[in-house]
Amino acid sequence: MKFTAATVEDTRALGERLAALLKPGDLLVLIGPLGAGKTAFTQGLGAGLGVSGAVTSPTFVISRVHKGPLPLVHVDAYRLGGALEVDDIDLDADVADSVTVVEWGEGLVEQLAESHLEVRIDRRADDVREITFVPAGGDWADRLAGLG
Amino acid sequence: MTDEPLVLGIETSCDETGVGIVRGHTLLADAIATSVDQHARFGGVVPEVASRAHLEAMIPTVQRALDTAGVTLGDIDAIAVTAGPGLSGALLVGVAAAKAYALAAGKPIYGVNHLSAHIAVDTLENGPIPEPALGLLVSGGHSSLLLVEDLAGRVEQLGATIDDAAGEAYDKVARLLGMPFPGGPPIDRAAKDGDPHAIEFPRGLTGHRDMEKHRYDFSFSGLKTAVARWIEAREKAGEPVPVNDVAASFQEAVCDVLTRKALDAAKEHGIETLLLGGGVAANSRLRAMSVERFEKAGMRVRVPRPGLCTDNGAMVAALGSHLVAAGVAPSDLGIPADSALPVELVSMVEHDVRVTR
Repeated sequence: MKFTAATVEDTRALGERLAALLKPGDLLVLIGPLGAGKTAFTQGLGAGLGVSGAVTSPTFVISRVHKGPLPLVHVDAYRLGGALEVDDIDLDADVADSVTVVEWGEGLVEQLAESHLEVRIDRRADDVREITFVPAGGDWADRLAGLG
Repeated sequence: MTDEPLVLGIETSCDETGVGIVRGHTLLADAIATSVDQHARFGGVVPEVASRAHLEAMIPTVQRALDTAGVTLGDIDAIAVTAGPGLSGALLVGVAAAKAYALAAGKPIYGVNHLSAHIAVDTLENGPIPEPALGLLVSGGHSSLLLVEDLAGRVEQLGATIDDAAGEAYDKVARLLGMPFPGGPPIDRAAKDGDPHAIEFPRGLTGHRDMEKHRYDFSFSGLKTAVARWIEAREKAGEPVPVNDVAASFQEAVCDVLTRKALDAAKEHGIETLLLGGGVAANSRLRAMSVERFEKAGMRVRVPRPGLCTDNGAMVAALGSHLVAAGVAPSDLGIPADSALPVELVSMVEHDVRVTR
C-alpha cells in the first residue's frame, strides 16, 4: 500500500491516519534515509494517538515513552550497536500495552513482536515522499484495508 | 570558608560516569570515566553495555574523586545525583549508587535535573548566577532555552527543539561529511577554513508563522536534510564537495538561530546574562557569536570552560551544593530515575512528586 506526501505536513497527516488503526502490542519499523521524515511520521502517530510530551528525535536517548490512552514507545536504533532487546527500550514501558515505533531498526528489532508493519519512506527526485506500508504477519493487511 | 556545603555529585545520564566534589562554589574533584570507547567497539551504543560500564566504573570513580579532593565519604554533607532526563538504564545505575552511598554514610540525597546541573556548573568558575538568567543548553541530546528565575527551584523552559538536538545535527552532518563521532569538534575545525556564507542553509522556525507558535523553539531536522540534499546534488553532478564550506555554512546556520532566539528571549524577559551550557557550548563559533551579539546589546555571556560544558559529575555536585545552601529539602530515598524528568523539576522531593504535582 503506497501513499505520496508532498510536504512534511502530509507525512505527519498520514501518520495521524494510521494511528486510528493501531492497537496495543503493535510494532512499526520505519525505514528511510536521513531526512526522509521518519520523526515527522512519528509525530503524526503521536498526535493521532493523543499521547503526551513532544515527539522529538530519540537518537540520543535511544527510546522515549509517551504516555496516553495507548502509549507510544519511540525508539531510535541509529546509535545502537546490535539487536535490540525488549529490556533495552525502557524499564517503565510495557511493549505489550503500547505501540512501539522504531527508526533505523531494520534487521535489529523485528523479533520484538510476532508481527510488524514496515513503513518505508523514499524520497523522489522532486522531493515528494513515497510512503509504503508493508505488512509482515498478523492481521496488518486486513487492518490496512481500512485506510482506503 | 569551611561551613560551605561539601557535596559529592554523580552523573550517569548518558555515556559518561562522572563524580564531582565541590565545597560551596569551589571545585575539588571532577573524575570521569567514559564508555565511548566501548561503544566504538560495538559500532554504536548498546544500552546494556552503557549500563554495565557505569556499574563497573562507579566505585573506582567515586574513590578517585574522594582521593583527589582529599576527603572521605564521612566528610561529605550531601550526595547529589542526576535523576533525569537521560537514558533510563544508565540513570538507574547512578541513582542506585547515590542511594547506597547516602544510606551507608547517613547523608541526605538530592535527585537533581540534568539540565539545571548544566546551568549550575558555571558557579564553579564564575561564582553565583545573577537571577533571572537565561540558559541556552545545547548538546547531543538537548537544545533548550531556559528561564532561570531561581536555580534552587524555579526554572522554566521557554523553548526546545521540536525534532533533532543541535549536537545531534552536528553528529549526523559530520557523518555525511565523513568525519568521526562526536561531530562537533571536526566540524568546528573544518569550518575555520571555510566560508560561512558560501551556502545559505535554512534557519529552522524563524519564519513569521513559526515565530508565533514556536518563538523560542528550535528545529534542526530540516537543516540536516538540506545539508544531505546539497551534498547529494554535488555528488550527482560529479563535483567535489567543498567540505570546509559546508561545515562553516552549516555551523553558521545552527549558531545563528540559537543566538538569535536567545537574544530575543533575553530582551523580552529583561534578562542581562546568558549562560551557555552543554557539549555544543564548547563550539568556538557559538561562543564567539553569542558574545558578539549579546555584548552589542549590552548583555553578558558566561560560558564554563569546555571540560565543564560536557557531561560531568562536578555540575551535579555544583547544583547539589546550591540546593543545600538555599535550604532546599533533600529528596526521599524512594526517588526513581526518570528518563523524561521535566525541566521544571530542578530537584525531586518525594518519589511520587510527579503524580502529586
